[in-house]
Amino acid sequence: MIHFMLNGEPVSTDVPEDTPLLWVIRDYFNLKGSKFGCGMGLCGACSMQLDGVSTRTCILPVSAVEGRHVTTIEGLGTADNLHPLQKAWVKHSVPQCGYCQSGQLISASALLAQNPNPTEDDIANAMSGNLCRCGTYPRIKDAILDTAAGGVAQWEPPGSDNAPSADSVSDGVAQEKSVAGGEA
Amino acid sequence: MSQLKVSRRGFMGLLGAGSGGLVLSASLSGCASGNNAVQSPSPEALVLNAFLQITPENTVHFYLPREEMGQGSYHGLTTLVAEELDVLPERITVQHAPVNKAFNHPEFGMQGTGGSTSMKVSFYPLRQAGANARAMLVDAAAAELGVSPAQLKTEDGHIITTSGERHPYGRFVQLASTLPTPENVPLKNASDFNLIGKQRPRIDGISKSTGTAQFGIDVDLPNLHKAVIIRSPVYGAKPVKFDATEALKLADVAQVFAIDNGVAIVAKHIWTAKKAAKLVSVEWSNVPLASQSSTHIRDDFASALDTSEGEEHFKSGEGVQALQQAESSENSTVVEAEYWVPFLAHATMEPMNCTIQFNGPRCDIWLGTQMTGAVQSAVAYHGELDKENVFVHTTLLGGSFGRRGNLDYVVEAVEVGQAFSKSHPNTPVQIVWSREDDMRHDYYRPAALARLKASIDDQGQVQTWAATRSGGNMMSYILDEVIDVLAPGFLPNGMVDWLSKRGYGLFENWVVDPSSVEGLHEDYDVPNKEVRHVTVDHGMRLGFLRSVGHSYTGFFKESFMDELAIKANMDPVEMRLNHTQSSPRLNGVIREVAKVAQWGKPQQGRFQGIAAHRSFDSYVAQIAEVSVEGSKITVHKVTCVVDCGRAVNPDMVKAQMEGGIIFGLSAALYGEITFKEGAVEQSNFHDYRLVRLAEAPEVEVHIIDSQEDPTGVGEPGVPPIAPAVANAVFQATGQRLRSLPLKLA
Repeated sequence: MIHFMLNGEPVSTDVPEDTPLLWVIRDYFNLKGSKFGCGMGLCGACSMQLDGVSTRTCILPVSAVEGRHVTTIEGLGTADNLHPLQKAWVKHSVPQCGYCQSGQLISASALLAQNPNPTEDDIANAMSGNLCRCGTYPRIKDAILDTAAGGVAQWEPPGSDNAPSADSVSDGVAQEKSVAGGEA
Repeated sequence: MSQLKVSRRGFMGLLGAGSGGLVLSASLSGCASGNNAVQSPSPEALVLNAFLQITPENTVHFYLPREEMGQGSYHGLTTLVAEELDVLPERITVQHAPVNKAFNHPEFGMQGTGGSTSMKVSFYPLRQAGANARAMLVDAAAAELGVSPAQLKTEDGHIITTSGERHPYGRFVQLASTLPTPENVPLKNASDFNLIGKQRPRIDGISKSTGTAQFGIDVDLPNLHKAVIIRSPVYGAKPVKFDATEALKLADVAQVFAIDNGVAIVAKHIWTAKKAAKLVSVEWSNVPLASQSSTHIRDDFASALDTSEGEEHFKSGEGVQALQQAESSENSTVVEAEYWVPFLAHATMEPMNCTIQFNGPRCDIWLGTQMTGAVQSAVAYHGELDKENVFVHTTLLGGSFGRRGNLDYVVEAVEVGQAFSKSHPNTPVQIVWSREDDMRHDYYRPAALARLKASIDDQGQVQTWAATRSGGNMMSYILDEVIDVLAPGFLPNGMVDWLSKRGYGLFENWVVDPSSVEGLHEDYDVPNKEVRHVTVDHGMRLGFLRSVGHSYTGFFKESFMDELAIKANMDPVEMRLNHTQSSPRLNGVIREVAKVAQWGKPQQGRFQGIAAHRSFDSYVAQIAEVSVEGSKITVHKVTCVVDCGRAVNPDMVKAQMEGGIIFGLSAALYGEITFKEGAVEQSNFHDYRLVRLAEAPEVEVHIIDSQEDPTGVGEPGVPPIAPAVANAVFQATGQRLRSLPLKLA
């Protein structure tokens, strides 16, 4: 039995010890946000934070995380409670196909946790283990720099509960949410 | 203007009998119940048309007719219905459309996504769907509130009365369902657009930034089993015999069996299946490709060009004959050059995968695909099922670039699923490819060799442009795969074989496959042109990769135009402007990129190169700024100007240009698939290198302000980047690099 902390909660598993952490998280804990990309630790789609360090989990046997803290994209933030970097990703429309972005965000958040004001070189060093075939790199860079500069502190995605509605922006009249029921 | 072809009434017949609800009970009497129907989100939902439904709770559901693979159909097409329906796009619930002719691509005649056409073919029909739906709700509101429709306004999913009262659309759903359906309601004037042409974050940004976006590999079902397939190192070889004794000893392994193209291992867990696969030995049949190696290919193409004049694809003026005159003229210069590109793999970040479940006559299949309609046909054909009983559940695509337009991963899933269902009835199985499988069993962008020859007069005007391309053709491989599935039943088998790869096919020696030569001659004003093709095919499976033929003809044409400019002592920008007088839009992007990139004034130590290319009805010019240190090429900045007609979502147009440039840069600097004795030598990202963040240039995109209808953006960003970089490298070093990937001596 292997015990570890998963997104802040203690968990345990009795899967074969050589099973890579990626498949344990995806298929036993049913968190599908971390992706399989290469199986050789080359593309970063499977990245999770291991005690705060962005780690390739497609080649990491689950036995190696005994007693350690694992953070996946699901632990970073949710639609209702976005991590500042996730907000920046939305604000800058970073994702295209989106497949690699969980890994990108795991590496970016590990970087900012260590280095809140990274230079472009710091970003290049920290992020070059994560491939993106769609070519979203310029926006990844912009989103990290914007987050570090505090650019998303007051920003909310349009349509979210906290965002100013289009109406209140245009004419100052607050409006009901879209799901407000009909009265018929 | 094209109009929405599906009336609401017509669409009703497509709905399943089980959906119930007030609209259906009122309208479906006598209609046959199709199995493959849109599932209504709620029994009370009002079906506005094929694309839109709205519930009494005021939730708008949009059935997305084109698949989302990163190119932005999810956001872009939602923007179109949102604009005319007057609902903010992020408030719309987007659903993947099931296979239904209501969602056929108007140009393809089937349900599919590709060719950078989604926005182009949706711009009017989806707006019309939104406008008709809005009118229907306004009519109902007017009737209920006792006012005239003209007195009501709409805003963000609400009807607004003259006194400023706001009523959610959902309130009028029941009444609207009893009223006649408005058709051909006038669309908004461009000056009234609230969303089209405006900046707004893409609506799939949140799910794709929180790990909740669902791709094919994320599909999960009760008792889902996983499968891996051991594939032949050489494409086309079949398993002759295999030994799975050791593999079957592993706990968890459910079944090991041969299929047409390999040996399938099914287990409860993917890791077990992968471990078991290593314990299986397979003996493969011999195929002709096993005697081929890519080291010979370029020479084979070259000798074909030496000995054959090939087939004519295009000729204007006197064609290549005009060169003879030029060669004997003192006032003409003749220039000739040979260019080469290798095979390329798509390397989507999400490897191929497919989930399938057979239950008696019924099959359900879950996958990301560009060929939604053909998937249903392929499952029905290969599984010998009724199409009506094949249910295709599409997900987001974790990248595609053309790869998921192929059906190989569907056809093998049918075989695996059916074999597995014999021992495990009604049990879903998911086939997951390894990266190595994905890299070695692609439909490759063909390698190509081209010879270009031109004459320039003493004024620097190109008088003759002749180009001959040699290589394999993509279309025959694509046809080979789909022709049984899609060909009308009356076609005799012989004709099917003749059209496809199996016989001595149509595209081998009779007509030129347009995909092989597209982009070789179209862009420049030259009085005498000729394009020819010599087919040489070694049997590597070929397919469409982002921008297809343009992915190499852009490199050939734009490198050669640069050579001509230099030979004529002309500035490369001026040379291109002089030869695009009859194409104001191509001329426009060239002029604009030279201005915004400050052509002729690069930063110190950097060198500029320009390229321009029209593809998918859009015009793109790029200037790359590079430096060279030793043999290392660094691309610092790319300035891109695009004319794609009206930019519905300008920021997404920019994103597609950025992505296209970086995709094309991987091919320009690194991409190369080789094979030895029929087996692909590359296997993963260490030997098939892609541009990483540290190597990604700054990209600055400008969009030409246009009132023309929208055209493609997913692919047109790719073709100019390799020649722009190669032309800049020439400025930096004097070396003309005529092969990709670019390698300095």
